[in-house]
Amino acid sequence: MEQAKYEAIKPGVLRHSVVNWVFVTIGVYLIAIVLLVLGIVLQLTGTINNFLTAQNMLNIIDAVSMLGIVAVGMAFVTYSGHYADLSVPTTMALTGIVAVEMLKFGFVAAMLSAIVVGFVVGLINAVAIGKFRANPIIWTLAVNYMSMGVIRLVWVNKQIYPDMTASTVRASEMFDAIFRLRFFDKIALPMVMMIILVIVLQFVMRRTKFGVQLKMTGAARTPARFSGINVERMIAIAFIICALTATIGGLAVTSLNRVGAWYNGKGYEFKAVTAVVIGGVTLAGGRGSIIGVLGGVLVIGILNNILTLLGVGTFSQDMIRGAIFIIVVFVNARSLRKMGRDYE
Amino acid sequence: MSSKTSKGIRREKTLVFIDKNRIFILFGVVFLFMAIFAPRFMTTFNLTTIMRTTAMNATAAIGFTMILIIAQLDLSIGTIITFAGVVGLGLKQYIGYGGSIPIAILAGCLIGLINGLLVAKAKISSFIVTLGMLTILQGAIYTITRGNSISLSSPDAFAVSDWLSKMLIPLITPRVVITLILVAAFTVFLRFTRVGRNLYMVGGNRQTAWLAGINTDLYTIVTFVISGFTAAVGGVLFAMEGAAATLNLGDTSLMYVISAVIIGGTAMSGGKGGVLKSFFAILSLDVLYNGIILFGLGNEVKIFIAGVILATVVLYEAYTQYKHDKTVGQRSELLKEVDQLKEKLRASKQKIAG
Amino acid sequence: MKRRITIFFVLLLALALTGAVFAGGGGEPSGGAGATEGETAAGGMSNLEKSLAVDTSTLKSEDGQPLIILQEKQREVPARPSDPEALPEDNPLHWWDIEFAGWNANKRNIPASPEDGAIGKRIVFIVHGDHPWTTACTLGAQKVSGAYDMEFKPLSPNWDLAVQNQMIDQAINERPDMILLIPLDAKTAPQQARKINQAGIPLILFNTLPSAAAMDYCITWTGPDDFGQFRMLSRVWADEMKRIHGTADVGVAYTQHAPGGSPYFARCWGPISELSGYAPWVKTLDKQAPGFEADKTMQLVSDWLTRFGDDLKGICAADDSAQALGIFEALEKAGRDDVVVIAAGNSKVGMDLVKEGKLFAITYQTAEGDGALAVQTAADWFNGKEIPPVRYLPKHIITKADVEEFYPPQW
Repeated sequence: MEQAKYEAIKPGVLRHSVVNWVFVTIGVYLIAIVLLVLGIVLQLTGTINNFLTAQNMLNIIDAVSMLGIVAVGMAFVTYSGHYADLSVPTTMALTGIVAVEMLKFGFVAAMLSAIVVGFVVGLINAVAIGKFRANPIIWTLAVNYMSMGVIRLVWVNKQIYPDMTASTVRASEMFDAIFRLRFFDKIALPMVMMIILVIVLQFVMRRTKFGVQLKMTGAARTPARFSGINVERMIAIAFIICALTATIGGLAVTSLNRVGAWYNGKGYEFKAVTAVVIGGVTLAGGRGSIIGVLGGVLVIGILNNILTLLGVGTFSQDMIRGAIFIIVVFVNARSLRKMGRDYE
Repeated sequence: MSSKTSKGIRREKTLVFIDKNRIFILFGVVFLFMAIFAPRFMTTFNLTTIMRTTAMNATAAIGFTMILIIAQLDLSIGTIITFAGVVGLGLKQYIGYGGSIPIAILAGCLIGLINGLLVAKAKISSFIVTLGMLTILQGAIYTITRGNSISLSSPDAFAVSDWLSKMLIPLITPRVVITLILVAAFTVFLRFTRVGRNLYMVGGNRQTAWLAGINTDLYTIVTFVISGFTAAVGGVLFAMEGAAATLNLGDTSLMYVISAVIIGGTAMSGGKGGVLKSFFAILSLDVLYNGIILFGLGNEVKIFIAGVILATVVLYEAYTQYKHDKTVGQRSELLKEVDQLKEKLRASKQKIAG
Repeated sequence: MKRRITIFFVLLLALALTGAVFAGGGGEPSGGAGATEGETAAGGMSNLEKSLAVDTSTLKSEDGQPLIILQEKQREVPARPSDPEALPEDNPLHWWDIEFAGWNANKRNIPASPEDGAIGKRIVFIVHGDHPWTTACTLGAQKVSGAYDMEFKPLSPNWDLAVQNQMIDQAINERPDMILLIPLDAKTAPQQARKINQAGIPLILFNTLPSAAAMDYCITWTGPDDFGQFRMLSRVWADEMKRIHGTADVGVAYTQHAPGGSPYFARCWGPISELSGYAPWVKTLDKQAPGFEADKTMQLVSDWLTRFGDDLKGICAADDSAQALGIFEALEKAGRDDVVVIAAGNSKVGMDLVKEGKLFAITYQTAEGDGALAVQTAADWFNGKEIPPVRYLPKHIITKADVEEFYPPQW
């Protein structure tokens, strides 16, 4: 009898409950499904209408496309154990305004110059954080300030308009179309870009040498270095990816707003981190997936949608979102711990 | 390898001195520069303006410094400032300042308590907790005020605000006095009491601190409460002096306080820094911005310089860390042995060659 | 390592500064158009006479419109009800204190005009934040201050109340001849105005309506008649909706301005309270404040369409650029081109939308004129003229028919 009791608590056996396992593996999509079900229930009870329509679903994805683009890049930074890239908003604004300015040399020139600028910003972050090991949050914050200062110094606090700087009408139309182009009249270009990025970056994270090495770097930096991984280069690439996705997002936002200005992209850094963390990429690094980030973005979109359909005010929505954010992270962290899989 | 000559030692010591006290030196430099070059800087009125502007952020920085010392983050201080200001003013018409101020400050402490509990007990990262709390509070502020900012035009409201901004002695108004008292109190607390010094241990190496018998959870929770407290005090005082509370009162405070505290020498890795240094950092930044306004330069310059200073500090910290890592674990006797061996090797090589 | 870091850092700085110097072309970011010190006339006309001789009516703003249009008749001001707050919200008089703030002010302690002309006077011009609109506003102000050879110092606190308070303190310290201020927030204005008033410095508030208490401490308030414009606009809106949809099942929604300021009330409650009398068949479905972000507004309007479907026949936007863009993205996606949209203008983006026939009508709100009128009023005060307690900018509704006249846009 005593034997049986002690045997049940054998050392090394952790509490593997099904719920915990489910949370950790597909966590965020579980939440998404719960929300969808909630939406359907509300629709069936007549509290809201038209939730489960193709149009509404498309609206949800449309609303979060740009956030999704930025978030999947940010995920790499978090995955590498460096919390977040706070320079994303100004990178978005800077690449946007550079593109608009360069439209006078044509559409292609504008795109190229935006990518170059984004790459340079990412490189600056990469060198300071990867090579010199500066604190990522403070450094990217400093870069944020400096970029903002540069934008406003160079363009003297004005905003510039794509249709006025473009060399040809065609160029300005193409720029406008970055946000507005629709395939089959329904699928917007940003949505397509987001999906492509998700697929490509998921592949990069999971199946390339870089991705695997980045995981090690994020999980445990010193052992990774000792096992021969060029840690500095991994981190550098992560920040550059983040800056490049910020560039794409910045072009989309600038195209939407039809104006190159220093305030484009404001607020995206915290929104992206929220999506990334809800999607399962832990702040400590080395854990999570891009598919998860997509899930996180979708969760935010569905939540906003349901709340608006319910008539909840914008600010009450903030409260609910903040609470859910904490709860999700809490449950995720707890499940990991209970399964013995948190190595902090 | 540092030479062991007396000149070398003195040089090392001065470098260490500069490093440890760099924020005071920076303050001196900035102040001197502005005093010499900025028009109308050295007037009592202007200097008092600087002190008054500093008061709000300096108070919040006290708590934030302590949070950084224990290697956590509190992103919600900006919204706590706003929340306390809004509550403090909003309730005044029902229960007067005597009632609304304690409630506002208590609210700040409560929010800090929730933050601390979630971080210490639920073991959620402080970045996450305070980020979520920031969002929740923002929504709460707008919801309870229904979008209206709060202002008071009653004569007694103006009376209180006048009292708070009255100049007692040059440069010092009552609100500044409160700030200075808090700064002094917490500086003493951190440096000279055992509990205060334990905080550094908790931040420096949490496991070791716990093994040494310090109740790390309790320290964490209390620090978050203090952070909420100081943010609330800063917010309430500011709102009272302005006799008004807007809904984005503390929005810029977060980044400002983070920058200042880091510049002041408190590192995010924990275990280092001090309240006095943060206070001087905020003073330096305020003197700098004040000067920029006096020169007539625009906000772009201000933002750019803020970024440059922050970048410098961060890189400098990284460099210090790098140097520290290089010498970690080295013991001078062993190094001396290595040097001697190297000498022997070189001598023998020369003998073979020669 | 140290060398590498320093090299990196120096390169970074060089990069940033090159960019700044290269394209800025040395443009003065906050252009302080400093003029020569007050020229005391040596022989010939006195300062006052010279100043009275300055004719600013020929000045034009960038869009080719006259910069300053002084109106003789300001506005019909109804009598103040004894307790406006007690009235229902859709009664126009409920909003009397906000809408007509200034008309019943109890001026206290206002300094008397020195009546020695405006030439060479020093004025400090404090706006609320950085935005292309304020850049245009400051430009307009500079045009007028240049005409009077004033020493003009513009300051912008970038939407931070603490900084604006600090700037006010610093301005007081400089003891200028006049302070012109856009209060960041209606409710905080009284304390700011009082401080300036107690320092004995003349004050003109402009652009955003402060709460009534602030009006006691300033010489006057100049700026757009937001409420008035939107009452006009809402009538045009109701007429158009009636023309297209008839009067059955007409629901409208409002995207609001930043909460707390006067536009928040004027551009939402103005139309609501006006239509309750003029077109009571219009139903208000929802009002939300999505900020000035196009993607948020787009999501909001998409969700509105999902929620209200065909009932949504009109949208009133507090902003004709980012909000309007978001609104139209959502409308086009849903294939709804029958929704009548109005907005507060007038930015380039908004006017483009009017030209394309999407935005039905916007208000003309001259940014340059705003700053110019404030400075002109200051000049008039220095000249000893009588200043009304409130001075409005001209009102105008821009539709497709006349939008071309307002190009090139001010901002």
